[in-house]
Amino acid sequence: MADNTPKSISAALAAATCSLLGTAPATPVQAQEEPNWEFNTALLYYGENDDRVQDLSLNILARRLFVDDRSLTLGLTVDTLTGATPIGAIRQNVPQTFTRPSGSSAYTVPAGELPLDDTFKDTRVAITAAWEQPLGRLWKTSVGFSGSQEYDYTHLGLNGSLSRDFNARNTTVSAGLAVAHDTWDPVGGAPLPFAPMLDVGDTGNKSGSETKDVIDTVIGVTQVISRKLLVQLNYSFSNSSGYLTDPYKVLSVVDGTTGDTVPRQPAPGAEGPSHEFRFENRPDERSKHSLYGQAKYYMGGKVLDASYRYMTDDWDIDSHTLDLRLRWPLVESHYLEPHLRFYTQSEAEFYTISMVDGVELPRFASADYRLGKFDALTAGLKYGWKTRGGKEMSVRAELYRQNGTIPGDLLIGNQVGRETYPDLDAIIVQFSYRFSR
Amino acid sequence: MNRARIGGMGIAVLVILASGCSSIGVEPWERDILAKEEMQLTTDPVEAAIDDHIYFSKEASSGGRGFGGGGCGCN
Repeated sequence: MADNTPKSISAALAAATCSLLGTAPATPVQAQEEPNWEFNTALLYYGENDDRVQDLSLNILARRLFVDDRSLTLGLTVDTLTGATPIGAIRQNVPQTFTRPSGSSAYTVPAGELPLDDTFKDTRVAITAAWEQPLGRLWKTSVGFSGSQEYDYTHLGLNGSLSRDFNARNTTVSAGLAVAHDTWDPVGGAPLPFAPMLDVGDTGNKSGSETKDVIDTVIGVTQVISRKLLVQLNYSFSNSSGYLTDPYKVLSVVDGTTGDTVPRQPAPGAEGPSHEFRFENRPDERSKHSLYGQAKYYMGGKVLDASYRYMTDDWDIDSHTLDLRLRWPLVESHYLEPHLRFYTQSEAEFYTISMVDGVELPRFASADYRLGKFDALTAGLKYGWKTRGGKEMSVRAELYRQNGTIPGDLLIGNQVGRETYPDLDAIIVQFSYRFSR
Repeated sequence: MNRARIGGMGIAVLVILASGCSSIGVEPWERDILAKEEMQLTTDPVEAAIDDHIYFSKEASSGGRGFGGGGCGCN
């Protein structure tokens, strides 16, 4: 914007005079690259109902800009997690006792309550690094690294992408590849497939650590449609192989007629499970396909951000995700942004809620509610503003709600009416601060 | 639906879009609105990463926009 103050006119005249005379201006010229670093930081609180998972998370993303559009981006995330999580066992009309994953003690869940393991406590540190640069006039490339560490899980990954502009930069075609090698080192060891839960101190059902490898590919087109409309379409394919089971999830072993969990007696003098439970077992391979479309539309100052994703995989899970955000400018540099997200998924083919006693074991089974059939809704609001110094801040609050249903054919005897999907309510509160230095 | 066919369809749609879009778009001097920060596909990369991670932990789907979300033994 033009600044018409007398001071700037006189400064401009002085500068013009200096350049005509071939002499240096009195004040030094600002270096072209400053400011060099952009910091994008956020503090997040995520909390679930019924004292389930709570997460306090610090996120920092720092981007160093160099000449010729080259950049280095470094990311750090620290999560502190506590709370309880459903273990997969079903409710009973009597108290149930479980051996903890460590195998060193046991805990009891009151009659009628959903079994949760309340020893979940972890700190996760994740880092990312990425280098991005143009290759000639129309190509751009990036290479990156990701790593994370928590008490029982380690992730190491590499990624790269390549893109090219076409049609006077109105079309961008991109392709990316990411590979990861993750290691599970569960508390007490990884359970053997369908191994029974044993008494405290008996570790005959566990082995050591396990690994999994993930390959992700994505290809996409970004297209400028008009001055006010931008769209993107991506196809992605992901393949995971190795240990894809959750080492802490179990299934209740039930009577085929009553549907009640089969009682069990710990060894004399020992503490241990009051009922029969078996650890879950999932396939060691999973392939996912996704189609993702996004549109940004400018409407007289407001910006609509709409996206849709369809995902299908060879575990028989299909999902649809619709995400809508509307950025609504207020006075000066303030804005409001309402957000709605709708999600629905079908259950995995091996999802069940219990295993019948005395019949042949299935190849795979899991009662993890995240592999079940459910819908989810996110509703939130963000308020953002820019300070006079150019710093940006925002606060957002969102509610995330999952509502699931257990397919009727999975319920046996007394389970009808007693077993319900462990619905989830979570709140998300985030403060973001963005500045340059 | 046949999953291999979905992959093929996805690639075909992208190719058609890439070739069919050669006649639409804007001139370089018409990019004033598109250059605005709020018109970028990802306006807040940290928030996008946080959301990807939350939904990766709680749902059976992930990715789409990019690779995002993974790298945890999320309970």
